[in-house]
Amino acid sequence: MSSVEASKPVAKPTPVIQRVIAILWPAFLTSGVATIITFTLFDPQEISACVGGPQISRLGAYTVGFFSLWLLTTLTSVLTCYFQRPCELTNRANGS
Amino acid sequence: MSEKSDLHEPKGGMADVLYEKRVKIYPREVHGIFARLRTLGVVVLLGIFYGLPWLRWDDRQAVLLDLPARQFHLFGITFWPQDFFYLAALLIIAALSLFFFTALAGRLWCGFACPQTVWTEVFLWIERKIEGDRLRQMKLDRAPWTGRKMFIKGGKHFIWIVFSLYTGLTFVGYFTPIIELSQKLVNFSQGPWEAFWVLFYGFATYGNAGWLREQVCIYMCPYARFQGAMFDKDTLIISYDEKRGEPRGSRKRGTDYQDKGLGSCIDCSMCVQVCPTGIDIRDGLQYQCIGCAACIDVCDSVMEKMDYPKGLIRYTTEHALEGTKTHVLRPRMFVYGGMLLLVMAALLYAVTQRVPLDVDVIRDRNALYRETSEGLIENIYTIKVINKDQRDHQYHLQVSGLENIKLINRMGDFTVRSGQVLNVPIYVQIDPVDLPATSNTIQFTLVATDDANITHEEEARFIGAAVR
Ligand code: SF4
Ligand code: SF4
Repeated sequence: MSSVEASKPVAKPTPVIQRVIAILWPAFLTSGVATIITFTLFDPQEISACVGGPQISRLGAYTVGFFSLWLLTTLTSVLTCYFQRPCELTNRANGS
Repeated sequence: MSEKSDLHEPKGGMADVLYEKRVKIYPREVHGIFARLRTLGVVVLLGIFYGLPWLRWDDRQAVLLDLPARQFHLFGITFWPQDFFYLAALLIIAALSLFFFTALAGRLWCGFACPQTVWTEVFLWIERKIEGDRLRQMKLDRAPWTGRKMFIKGGKHFIWIVFSLYTGLTFVGYFTPIIELSQKLVNFSQGPWEAFWVLFYGFATYGNAGWLREQVCIYMCPYARFQGAMFDKDTLIISYDEKRGEPRGSRKRGTDYQDKGLGSCIDCSMCVQVCPTGIDIRDGLQYQCIGCAACIDVCDSVMEKMDYPKGLIRYTTEHALEGTKTHVLRPRMFVYGGMLLLVMAALLYAVTQRVPLDVDVIRDRNALYRETSEGLIENIYTIKVINKDQRDHQYHLQVSGLENIKLINRMGDFTVRSGQVLNVPIYVQIDPVDLPATSNTIQFTLVATDDANITHEEEARFIGAAVR
């Protein structure tokens, strides 16, 4: 695929929906895996017993955990996409 | 394995597809053997999905991945986070079966069993019942927004949403007891997290099956991207018989087309109209093709009307198309199949040998050892006992590994309730003359008093100054 892209840099702009998918979706997949592993190893109630903090049900902790991980992985995806922009575009944006 | 399939390279450059604006696809309804098989798949799979959480077993939900309690109930067995190995083995089995069936018959999974396909099929069915067939749907979409259009569209989305929410409820019902959950939902007393997940999963269903559809397959599905690696020239694929079909062209029924120099394809474009991903199979196998066989069904019905032999589009292999022999039994199949059988056997063995009891020995942190008033060396431990069985049990604890070693267990034989953890403080004593070294290995053995098969041995260190 990369060869195709290299020979044809950004033929037409990617539709927004697909860009959103390309960022959110891989992040969703990896954060799902990370959530499963994290909470198999650690019981959220034991963590909150050690760390203190507000009391929250296990289901709540799983949810918060999942979405924090998703946020983090989304950030990674965004950065990947950002750095992947062809140099051409940056040059143009800088007005050269 | 040596022959790599080249049919799978996307033609015409993927960039074109990737950057094109999506055109809504209106798949035409098909009838035929594969359409019937898919409907059967939909009914069976959705029947299982929606029915399973309601099934009872021993006065408990038969399949309950009880996340709040950190216990997974699967009919007669309860799994714990410590049993992660079984989950991993299951995932490996799923992956290997996918490899096996992909190498054998291409994207069978996609066309007939993938949740994306199955739910989209239901959503399409609802859409067809409300908006009418393909032509009507297109006409309605082009028409200006009138009261009637709003009524029809609104009705469709309403039914989609209700169905999605019920799907969300069922999904959450795999993780929290579904009967209580639905009772609570009826009088709005469910917890906020449960409500959130019902909505979240319902929204995902609605979005994926109602709106995104084939885009999920083309842009989001990891399997769709790498399944080509499992193809070879002996894999069953859906293919258009170019030799027989070309040159394509329209003609009157009953004319001698060969006389006119035409092939069997009458260029009716039916295969394109039924395709859920909107491709033309006559351009060759493309990575967007989910192997749903809708084009086979419709083309066969066209061939029948024309009195031509069926199978212009059919399940075949690259080798067969080239006129050579197809090898079903090839090294690749043995490798995937062998690995699959091996992991399945291992899992089966592990499950039958599984002892529903876990023991952890924790040494007292305060002192390495101490001397009693009688001059014995004493080590202190806490024995953590987890009863993973679905019944309560009474256990008997023993220590061994050194001669004349003595166990002092103030609790005697103790009972642990099903699914509970019990910490048992114990003292182990020995006469220093019997101590061979400073650090020694000893064994704790726990046996259920009512079932000698439920037993667990755990090693520990015994420390003390030896006099020899
Ligand atoms: S491409 Fe992926 S999402 Fe689409 S039907 Fe196949 S497995 Fe399912
Ligand atoms: S080309 Fe045929 S088999 Fe492939 S997705 Fe389209 S209709 Fe289904």
